[in-house]
Amino acid sequence: MQHLNIITRRGFLDRSFKTGLGVALSTLVDIPFVVKKALAEGNIGLNGKKLLFIFLRGGVDGLNTVVPVLDSAYNATNRPTLLIPQDVGTNYSDTGACDFPVSGVGTATFSYLNAIRLGNGFSGLHPAMKFLAPVYNAGQLAFIHRVGYPKQSRSHFDSQAYWENGLPNNKTTREGIFYRTIIESGLAERSPLTGVSFQSALPLLLRGSNAAMTNLSDPTRYDLMGVPNNTAGNLKADTALINSIPHPFPAKRNRDLLQLQYENLTSTLSIFAGIDFSENGNTFVDDTNSDGGTAPYHLFPTTQSKNGGYALYGNNTGKYVVDSGAYSFFKNLKAAALVLNKTDAVIAGTEFSGFDTHNAQGGVTGAHANLLQRVGWGIYALQKYFTNYADKVSWNNVVVVTLTEFGRTTVQNANGGTDHAEAGVMMVAGGSVKGGAYGCGPSDPIPWIPGSAGSMFGISNRYLKRVIDYRSVLGEIIRDHLGATQGQINRIIPGYSQESAEHLQFGGTVTAPLDSQNTQILGEIGII
Amino acid sequence: MVTVGGYEWRATQAHPQGFYRVQASQLSTNTVYGATVLNRLAYGPTPDDLERVMTGQGAIGPEAYIFEQLSPELIVEDVANMHTNINWLEGKFASQDTLVTTNHASITDLRAWFTLRAVGARRQLLEVLLQFCENHFVTQYGKSFQFFDTYYDDSALQNRLATQLEYVEIEKWRTALLNPACTFYDLLRISVESPAMIIYLDTVSSRGDGTRIANENYARELLELFTFGVDNGYDQTDIVEVSKCWTGWTVSKMDLTNAFNPFATPQSGALSNTVGSWVFRYNSAWHNTGIKRVFTNKFVPARFGAPYTTKSYGTNTVPLLYELIIPSRSGTKTIQDGYEVIQHLANLPFTQEYISVKLCRLFVHDGFTHGYDFADPNLSPEGQLVRQCMNAWETSNGNLRAVLSAIFGSELFRSHSANAQKVKTPFEFVVSAIRALRTSVNGTYQAGTFTSDTDGYSLALPMQRMGNMLLFDRDDPDGYPEGAPGWISAGTIAERVRFVQSFCIAFGQNGHTGVQSGTGNDAGNTVCNPVELIKLKLPSSSWTSAEDVADYFLNIFYSSEGAGNLALMRQAAINYLNTNDQGDSSPFANLAVSSIAGTNYDTRVRGLVAMLLSQARFQEQ
Repeated sequence: MQHLNIITRRGFLDRSFKTGLGVALSTLVDIPFVVKKALAEGNIGLNGKKLLFIFLRGGVDGLNTVVPVLDSAYNATNRPTLLIPQDVGTNYSDTGACDFPVSGVGTATFSYLNAIRLGNGFSGLHPAMKFLAPVYNAGQLAFIHRVGYPKQSRSHFDSQAYWENGLPNNKTTREGIFYRTIIESGLAERSPLTGVSFQSALPLLLRGSNAAMTNLSDPTRYDLMGVPNNTAGNLKADTALINSIPHPFPAKRNRDLLQLQYENLTSTLSIFAGIDFSENGNTFVDDTNSDGGTAPYHLFPTTQSKNGGYALYGNNTGKYVVDSGAYSFFKNLKAAALVLNKTDAVIAGTEFSGFDTHNAQGGVTGAHANLLQRVGWGIYALQKYFTNYADKVSWNNVVVVTLTEFGRTTVQNANGGTDHAEAGVMMVAGGSVKGGAYGCGPSDPIPWIPGSAGSMFGISNRYLKRVIDYRSVLGEIIRDHLGATQGQINRIIPGYSQESAEHLQFGGTVTAPLDSQNTQILGEIGII
Repeated sequence: MVTVGGYEWRATQAHPQGFYRVQASQLSTNTVYGATVLNRLAYGPTPDDLERVMTGQGAIGPEAYIFEQLSPELIVEDVANMHTNINWLEGKFASQDTLVTTNHASITDLRAWFTLRAVGARRQLLEVLLQFCENHFVTQYGKSFQFFDTYYDDSALQNRLATQLEYVEIEKWRTALLNPACTFYDLLRISVESPAMIIYLDTVSSRGDGTRIANENYARELLELFTFGVDNGYDQTDIVEVSKCWTGWTVSKMDLTNAFNPFATPQSGALSNTVGSWVFRYNSAWHNTGIKRVFTNKFVPARFGAPYTTKSYGTNTVPLLYELIIPSRSGTKTIQDGYEVIQHLANLPFTQEYISVKLCRLFVHDGFTHGYDFADPNLSPEGQLVRQCMNAWETSNGNLRAVLSAIFGSELFRSHSANAQKVKTPFEFVVSAIRALRTSVNGTYQAGTFTSDTDGYSLALPMQRMGNMLLFDRDDPDGYPEGAPGWISAGTIAERVRFVQSFCIAFGQNGHTGVQSGTGNDAGNTVCNPVELIKLKLPSSSWTSAEDVADYFLNIFYSSEGAGNLALMRQAAINYLNTNDQGDSSPFANLAVSSIAGTNYDTRVRGLVAMLLSQARFQEQ
């Protein structure tokens, strides 16, 4: 993909920061109109809106996450050991707010062992995700069920790649949707931090050949060392580097880029110096007594003592809000939140894996349940963090999105688990999100058809059938939240430029050669 | 008085009124040429290289260096003596007809060995070309590892099996490149027959028998990435036809005596315990035996000009038609289909153009792209150079050295158009940093005598941090990027600077604790001793001169920058040497000369070197 470079980038930047983008643009007399137009396109990174993504790797079992309680096919015959049971005292067909089974002081956090009534008259929530109830009831969380793409792959490797490159069934394009988003924004040429990930390596979502985005496996590394490696030596080295950046050299092909990124480095160092990523800095707490108890919990459980009510209630592991394997995930989540909040980064994200539950998945408790606790508490915590600790961005301007490569089989297997299937669940949260239960029940525009011949067996008589393409969800977020133009979206998610075949925006029936099943999909669902 | 870009020129006005111009004296073109040569044909200069090629008495000059490097078979290679790991690792590799066990080399071993050779080899251009082959004909260790999942339940063994496939590929390319008659076809053929490639692009399970449809992945990449370049003379129909030719090319475990015979009967049953080797096997029963029509009615476009527009291609009698019709064959003869395809592709003008473009991008600068109109009278210098490469290719039937000579002798390559116009990949960066300070203290070039060295292993983690450059494990078939935007961001620069700082900190000092594979620290067993280098290369009277020490390092790190450009950096370097860590004046001349870690002199010199290697200029290639 060709991208346009400006010749006197630094001069332009100076002017744009001082006088505003519009005036600066008009001063570029020798730049052809088409360049100015491209520069002026879209608002990504300019409207204060940000995105936090969490990739749930392995394929989350959507049916045990947002549970189709009133689907007769969701029963103990199909899921003898995995079934999330109904609470006999609850009428799931009632509509209203989502129940929030608080535990108070005396009982364990997750002592409620039934499906939580979602309030859409059909579905329930896995009880491990109870903390999503307040976010959902504030209208700030969208559960999107039956999300997939045509000719769905059941390979982790391939399907994750398609979710990340935005091009289903295209194994050759190895650049990510969020990479293209950043490229379209033009930010890679001016901002120190644009898209950042906090995991072991940069995910495909952020990868591409024309911009090197950063993965920070440990944000405390964003800090140069000196020789000697002590305070004085480090300062002397930093100073020497900073002072040498403006030394003039004749123009060469990459000198502008190097100059810019060295400047970005030094400015980011000073920004990062003001952010405490360490454990000492993890002082963020709830704004209410959490879970009906006597005091607020820490928002980011990065150690045992910060895990829910453990320390508060006398070292009681029953008062954990997440499993003890979650601490590194929450370190990364906290770092992602901090970077979005304290820097100009637009997109940040992380991941965790373990959802590939072929064996011993567990129902109300067990492996899958433990992982869902992280999602539940994580989104609750992000809402509180961006609301109460807002700095460069607040909850109203943040969207959190979860991604997963596929859902899992309707009928459990012989090992107490489920196998790879097709459509799954996405969650989108944020202060301005139009929350709700989408694709979740029979009153949906493309209804969820209950029963053994229904949606849960819609593909090959084994898999939940999709009604929403994941690209429609991401497209809407990148356009209506981050501020891309429709033209940019058509490039960021090329399926949008083939609307008559793909139907990503306005919905329709996807036919061969894209989809031999002739699947009807909703298009964009209006969550932003 | 004139001020331009911060610099002032003053002259006394002693002449009559009139028009004058500023005249500057330029650097010798050999300085620029030499710096480019040592940064592209080699992984950056060592101080010894600079003396031998550029600055020493009897310096041979860049042209002689090029001439020497173009014939690596005539260079005595003693790199195996330079680190104990190298010989040890070479004893761990499994050849194509060896049973792989967990005692053989793992992927981290292969990476360490490859890196050690890049650091120390005399045959630098050969090492550069091997990495080019590796990054052009991309294969992926991880994909091979996954392939072996079906047959084994032992990740340590799978690791070694996948490593063997990568090693065998590299060594075949090495042998080919050591042959003066090596052509692009030779390199392509090695890639085509490589089990790593057969697995990587899914040919391994591609079948065309009965009604089966062949897998298109390899055919597409063969055209798009390995020969013609994207959309350069082929379309989807051609991909489909070519894909049929590869059906039956698979990978099986063979008895060791059959390791070089693709027609032999493979082993069957439970393979995890048999004595054998995983090699290319041709399964004719899977082959699509019909006629294949590739490039039907396609003619070489006019933009290529003569002689391409006046000749015939393959067996076609109609000029310019480059159609290939592969007859229907049967039995094991069908293996010829694949070879016919690559013989046809290897020297077509599209391939000549695209491979020349890739070589120009590697050696000259990143602004080459295929699709030139060679008939255009205003053809850019880049287009003209590609054309010269193609001329060399055409007249030599694809001889690689002929094409390289065309590049290395070109005006673009010799001049500022190439010099410092690229950026180092993470691999090039770490290797060049080590080489920049490297000489042998006693002139023997034996292990343990170097002022700058590595164990090979400790570079893998820094390279990963600099942008996830894992040798032999690229998951994208178009290879690691050559261009700067793929590697340079504030975060990756931070990692480069951290590496260099850690490398310059003395072994054992805080920030460089020297644990093998470097968990938690940056440089691990990659170490340097710049004071030792000074004592070897400068007269003792210079050792306490801030000016002389600064000048020495500036000359070896930035040999192509003129004194004018470097003036500010030189002043900063001198100031650095004359300042203590608290920022107060501390004359360098007053420090007691010492190469002992922790002493003021040693720390001060190391700090200066770290600062100079952290500069943006050292990221440039």
